[in-house]
Formats: sequence, C-alpha cells, structure tokens
Amino acid sequence: MSGRYLARKLVQAAITIALIVAVNFFLFRAMPGGPERAIGHNPNVSAASIAALRERWGLDKPLFPDQFLDYVNASLHGDFGYSIKYQGQPVSDVIAQQIWPTVLLVGLGTILSVILGLTLGSAAGWRRGRWPDYLGTAVSQALYAMPSFWLGMILLVIFATGLGWFPSFGMSTAGAVYGSWVDNVIDVGSHLVLPLATFTLGYMGEYSLIMRSSLIETLGEDYIMTARAKGLEGGRILREHALPNAMLPTVTIIALNVGYIVAGALTIEYVFSWPGLGTMTVDALGARDYPILQALFLLLSVCVVLANLLADIVYGFLDPRVKV
Amino acid sequence: MTAAGATLSSGQLRAERWRLRLQGWRSFWRRYRRKRAGVLGLAVLIVFGTMALFPSLLAGPFQDVTAGTSDSLVGPSATHLLGTDELGRDILNLTVYGARTSLTIGLVATFMTIFLGAVVGIAAGYIGGAVDTVLMRITDFFLILPTFVLALILAPIVLDSIKGTPLASGDFFGVSVQLVVIILIIAITSWASTARILRAQTLSLKERAFVDRARVIGSSSTHIMWRHILPNCLALIVANAVLTVTISILTESTLSFVGLGDPSQPSWGQLLESAQAVGAPGLGAWWYTFAPGVSIVLVMLAFTLVGNALDEILNPKLSVRG
Repeated sequence: MSGRYLARKLVQAAITIALIVAVNFFLFRAMPGGPERAIGHNPNVSAASIAALRERWGLDKPLFPDQFLDYVNASLHGDFGYSIKYQGQPVSDVIAQQIWPTVLLVGLGTILSVILGLTLGSAAGWRRGRWPDYLGTAVSQALYAMPSFWLGMILLVIFATGLGWFPSFGMSTAGAVYGSWVDNVIDVGSHLVLPLATFTLGYMGEYSLIMRSSLIETLGEDYIMTARAKGLEGGRILREHALPNAMLPTVTIIALNVGYIVAGALTIEYVFSWPGLGTMTVDALGARDYPILQALFLLLSVCVVLANLLADIVYGFLDPRVKV
Repeated sequence: MTAAGATLSSGQLRAERWRLRLQGWRSFWRRYRRKRAGVLGLAVLIVFGTMALFPSLLAGPFQDVTAGTSDSLVGPSATHLLGTDELGRDILNLTVYGARTSLTIGLVATFMTIFLGAVVGIAAGYIGGAVDTVLMRITDFFLILPTFVLALILAPIVLDSIKGTPLASGDFFGVSVQLVVIILIIAITSWASTARILRAQTLSLKERAFVDRARVIGSSSTHIMWRHILPNCLALIVANAVLTVTISILTESTLSFVGLGDPSQPSWGQLLESAQAVGAPGLGAWWYTFAPGVSIVLVMLAFTLVGNALDEILNPKLSVRG
C-alpha cells in the first residue's frame, strides 16, 4: 500500500464528513417552522428565552456563511442543542447515556453473527450442491428474508411470554438491589440473551450468503486447481488456500454494511425496550425530537465513513494488488 | 433486383419485430421453467399479487378503525382464522388488505429507484467527462451514507412540512400522501447502487460497434441512450429491480414499524407496529404478529428466488457445474 493510496482515502473520508455536516445543517434548517420550533415545542420555554436562543444560535444572522460556520463550530464542540423529549437535556448528554447499551448489543452481536455466519457460509460453499449446502443456504435465505424486529417479536412471544425463560424488556430488573457485581452481570446478561440472539440470527444469514458465494468464487481460481493437482488434502486446501482469500471480501462487505447493521439494531432495541440509541430514536420520532435525530444522523454517518475508511486501509494492507 | 428487406412495409416490419420479441420471451420462459425454485417464487408472488388486486374475494370488505366487531385480541378461531387485533378487527382481513399497501409501496418505490438510478447511471456513463465526475461523486456520497437513518429523519421532516397544507389530506390513485412520501423517500435514499451498476454497463456498451454506427449516421445522444443503450441494459435492470424490491419492502416495513406509516392504510409493517404498540408479544398474542410477519418473509423469499433464477439465466457464469 502506497502512501498516496492512504492519503487519497483520508482526503475522501474528510470530504465526505464535511458533506455530511453540510447536509445535516440544511436538514436542520429545512425543518418545518425552522429551528426555533424545536424549542417552541416545549411549553415551559418562555418567549424571552426563545429570543435569547435565537441570538445565541445566531438565527438573525445570514444563513450562509455566518449561521453555517456557527453550526460547524458548535458541532465540533459536541454541542447539538437541547432535546425536546428528554426534559431539555443537552442532546450530547442524552446520547452519551444511551450509547453504551447499543455498543454492547451491536458489538457482541456483530462478533457472534460474523463467526456463525462465516462458519455456516464456508461449510455450505465447500459442500456446494450437496445437502449441507441446500440446508445452510435455505436457513440463511430464510433468516435474510426476515425483518429482524419481527424475529425479535417471535422470540419474545416464545421465550419470554410463553416459556418465561428470559425477561421481556429493559436491561435490568426494575428496582433490583445487587448483592455483588456478579448478580448485576447475571441480571443484565439474562436481559441481553433475547436481543442478542435476535441480532445474531438476523445478520448471520446475510453474512453466510456472502461468504458462500465468495468461497465458491475463490474455489474456481487456478491456484486452487494447482493445490488439488499437487495432491493436497481437501481440508488443507480449504483452510490454508481458499478461506483466507475468500474471507477478505466478506469482511470488507461487512465493514461497509455498518450503517445497515446499526439501523437493524435500532428496531431490535425497540422490540425489547433495550435502553439504547434505538429505543431513543423511536421515542424521538414519536415526539418529533429533531435535535436528537440530527445528532444521531451525524453520529452514525461519521461512524460509517470511519468504518469504510478502516476497511479500505485494512484491505490495502492485506491485498497488495490494491493500487491507487 | 430488390433486396428482400427493402420490400417490407412498415406494418410488416412491426409484425416481424413483435414475432422476434415473442420468440425471445418464449425461449426465456422455456429456460425459466426449468428453475424449480424460481417457479416456486413466481407462484408465491402470483398468490400475493391476486390478494393485492382482489382482496375482497378472500376477506370481505376492509375493516377500518371503526369496523371492529369482535372482542379485542382473541386468538384464532373458526370465525377469525387468524385472531383479532386490539380493536376487534380480523387479522386475516387486515393482512390481506396489507398485501395491497405493502406490494404497492414496494413496487412503486422500486420503479422510482430504478428510474432514478438508470437515468443517473446511463447519463454519467454515456456523457462522461465532468457530468460523469459530478454524478458519480453524488452517487458515492449516497452509497456511503447510512440511507436508512437518512430516511428516518427525512420522513418526519417532509411529513411535518406538508402537514396542514391541502396536500396532506389528498391521495394519489388511492395511495395516501403519507405513503407517497414514504415511497419517494425510499427512492431518494436507494438509487445509488443501481446507478453504479448501469454506469459500468453503459461504459462497456458505449464502445460497441452499433453505438458508433448510430453516432455516424447522426443519431442524437438522447436517441442513442434511449434506443440503444437502455434496451441493452434491460436484463441487468430487471435483475437489479427484483433485488431492489426486497430492499424496498424491508425498508417500508421498518419505517412503518418505527411509526412513520399510515395507520388508516395499514401495510404489514404498520400492523407489526400496532402489535408492538399495544404490547401484543408481551400479552402472548402471537397471532397478531404471525400473519403480517410471515407474509413479509414469504414475499421477500419469493422475490429472492425469482431474482436468483433470473440471475442464473442472464449471467451464465453462475450456473452450477455438472
């Protein structure tokens, strides 16, 4: 990987983030009733404080460049205004409170679904055209076709309401007092099982399908033929020759899908009332809490751009054929 | 001696063209018929399509919010095969009418997505130069954006903007404005990958002899794009459209599920949102989520099977060995 490749990717990512900030600004201003409506919504805010906010936000100044620069400046300092739904708290505080449950769910879920999806996909691809392939592909297709929130509702009906094995909502038992941190972990863990299972099942189908087709493509390459011709045993061809190359594009596609992954997690959280960004988003949509939605869009977009950048850089390191 | 071609009248020419076209369709169908999974998918789609076109055949008249006649949240029984919702409406009735809403949104949104993508992709590829650069930068931007999150913010902004205007209460051919907004937003946020694919195809078609020939005899760029490039992209467009339908249906159901749908014209996603809102899973009312969810899964699977079959026919590299 050349320095030029790296520099080019960095510049592209910076331009994209700048564009996202601009889009976010104009969406904010396109908002019905203008930005003051976001505060005017709140009956506890007096006309005087609205005037003060107008001045503070520079709404009397021209839209461009003054207001725009102010907005960029505020965004850079993590100031996204005040939430309507959450009693006028600063948006950045609300997000800071809600982000960790989401990170926990999405992080663990991604690890599990990638491991299971890649295993299932390579097992199916290696036995192409035989029953493990048909079974694995059918399961993956079915999981891929399911809206993940629906899968969550079904798991909830069966395992929480029906069998009573797991709690049906929240992240911990309300009012629980823990004897030790172990009890605390067990309580949160039992709340985590169903959302995590939903997330894992919801995404492994897609990963398995991508891995399967990537492996099949790799197995058609000449160097696999060479490995077979020199008499290598099947398992070694798969592990040492085919899998490393087949995994590269798969992992890249997964990294490029971060936005889509987070979007799915939002609805899963809502089903289980998991107190993360997803539940927050649905509440914010219901209350038309625009400042929250704006900040969420900015946060997720920047995460996606950074994930893309990381994927490009890793790909550039691992695959010497990638040129500028 | 006159050449045979020169003596054909324009009527005969048209008839000949139609004969060839029909022949093409027949040979395509012969190949499609051999794909068992594809035929199964098509059959499922025909069932749901019939449901959407003639819902009253299967479920009687639509039960709107005022029409609930039974007890609320009763499980499946002889009178209500799939149970009732919180207002005492029949779930089977709602699911059958949901087919019309879900499929309409899915198909119209797909059509608009493909249209936008095709216009941008073909124009960028054929015109090239600065137009190409600008259009592709925009495309890349939309590809990288988390489009679902963008849709999540755009939808309430647009819905709030038209609220209170005469537009808000109108409808387009029976589709409420709220759903039209959802359709437009799906199209605006998902055209980019189609544009990329069609640009690549246009770039390769542009170098072919028949395009040069058309240019030499003085055809305009618009004519070449419309009559020469587009028809040669059709196979690709169809395969891409089938994939886009699944994404549109999934996006629609997710947007409805988080409360951006229209409760007076419930789609399957909207039914799932009502179920979630009244806490049906927690009350053990599995029948409320069962039918709409299964319908989404079946339609998604059916489109995927049809798409795979089309892909295998149109893309010979994918066909199974031996």
